[in-house]
Amino acid sequence: MIEVEALTKRYGSTTAVDGLTFTARPGTVTGFLGPNGAGKSTTMRVVVGLERATSGRATVDGRRFADLPAPLHAVGIMLDARSVHPGRTAYAHLLAMAQTHGIGKARVREVLAQTGLESAARRRAGTFSLGMGQRLGIAGALLGDPATLILDEPVNGLDPDGVLWVRRLVRELAAEGRTVLLSSHLMHELALCADRVVIIGRGRLLADAPVQEIVDRTGSGSLEEAYLQLTSDAVEYRTDATAGGGR
Amino acid sequence: MSAATTAPRAVGASSTARRPTPARVLASEWTKVVSLRSPWWTAAVTVVVGGVITYLSAQASSGDPGFQPIDSLSSGLMLAQLGPLVLGVLVGGGDFRTGAFRSTYTTVPRRWPVLVAQSLAVAGFALGIAVLTTAACVVGILPAAASRDLPVDLTADDAPALVLGMVLFLVGLALLGHALGALLRRTVPALVTALSLVMILPIVLMMASDPLVAGGDPASLAAPAQGTAPTVVGTVNVLLPGTAGGLLTTSASSGPMDGSPDLGPVGGGLVLAAWIAVLLVAAAVRLRTRDVR
Repeated sequence: MIEVEALTKRYGSTTAVDGLTFTARPGTVTGFLGPNGAGKSTTMRVVVGLERATSGRATVDGRRFADLPAPLHAVGIMLDARSVHPGRTAYAHLLAMAQTHGIGKARVREVLAQTGLESAARRRAGTFSLGMGQRLGIAGALLGDPATLILDEPVNGLDPDGVLWVRRLVRELAAEGRTVLLSSHLMHELALCADRVVIIGRGRLLADAPVQEIVDRTGSGSLEEAYLQLTSDAVEYRTDATAGGGR
Repeated sequence: MSAATTAPRAVGASSTARRPTPARVLASEWTKVVSLRSPWWTAAVTVVVGGVITYLSAQASSGDPGFQPIDSLSSGLMLAQLGPLVLGVLVGGGDFRTGAFRSTYTTVPRRWPVLVAQSLAVAGFALGIAVLTTAACVVGILPAAASRDLPVDLTADDAPALVLGMVLFLVGLALLGHALGALLRRTVPALVTALSLVMILPIVLMMASDPLVAGGDPASLAAPAQGTAPTVVGTVNVLLPGTAGGLLTTSASSGPMDGSPDLGPVGGGLVLAAWIAVLLVAAAVRLRTRDVR
């Protein structure tokens, strides 16, 4: 479970995230939406401890990320396809991650097979296409068999086959009781795989509700329309569910 | 909010024993070093350059009347020292240059164990380079020694200390490069800084300390004073990491450089070690207190 409470992150005079509160629950795929620069990636980086919150807090299973005893088993993370040294092979990259937690080579081969990278395992990551890089990122996220997954734009650059695979994968992971937080620009994709969406704009929460509820409340025909309507609005928008559950 | 307790947790394999330990982080960092090409290239170039320059230098000196092969032993390090330095910078800054730090520091979010492990991995790899390079240097002086029928005895006099000093010097430079790379987080600025400290500044200071540059009388050179008193420029120079470390590759009996206090090989090594320690601590503080981006 991921809990973000009144999270604020400033860079100098720029406020990237402004008092953001939301929760991603177990057994649920939580879609994380917002225009470019809305603060999605910043929020994710703070959650996984790469950056420090200016104020507020972000926890996973009730702990600050840095305080997790075995981070790889608690949270699977895919933040950016460029999280790999281009000179390192896919296998070596995953092995180096696995070794920090004493995870064996068999598990490395397992996630390579699961993400369809078996034949590319000995290739250097710098030679990978965007889609293959995404698969490697997902392989890294799955490595520790984590209870929570944080995936930033996982379908970016994937072929239709890959998109379908990610959709099934996140549904399966949530069905197994895991927490999945997934950001995407692809409304259609999110409408298909997310149970709930958190929409932010300019670092602030615009909506946090089940997909259908957001569509109904905004009186629009689809999540896409609802999203455009919400993000064009400067006024902070919250559904009753958020107001009741979040505070 | 009670969903967490009621939801089935499919996580079976994650026993509490599977968490980062210093030994595991070290194994990981070692994998990261040896799985790249650049360390191997750096190693090969360092060994070859060390051997070849030493060979050429020994050959050139072999005509001198008082030629002692062992005196040429560390001559190849003048250039070969750059290899371990570059290796260290590439490993220390590489994670940040490429974005791999996101994987590294989300896997070990306490961060500083990574820095320590990386330093040890660099030291280990550099130790291999250092031993091979020193061996290449030994091979490099053999033809010159043979041409004069002079023995090469690595167990006599200052030789064992010299061989050890050469190995430590090369490992030390790798650690210096690593600390700079980890502190500055960018390979190019770290490389420029490292080269300035180790190669450029010593040359500049050596030129600046020349009496003629300071407006001295050329005639005074006719009778060079033995054991010149330490000057400010000379003292600064010998306290630079490269110059100080370089003392490790000299014999204890060789005395001080002109205008510098006599640190000796051990003192020089300690100065280099202090540089590494200070830079590494600075890198650790930055790692601990600042965002990694």
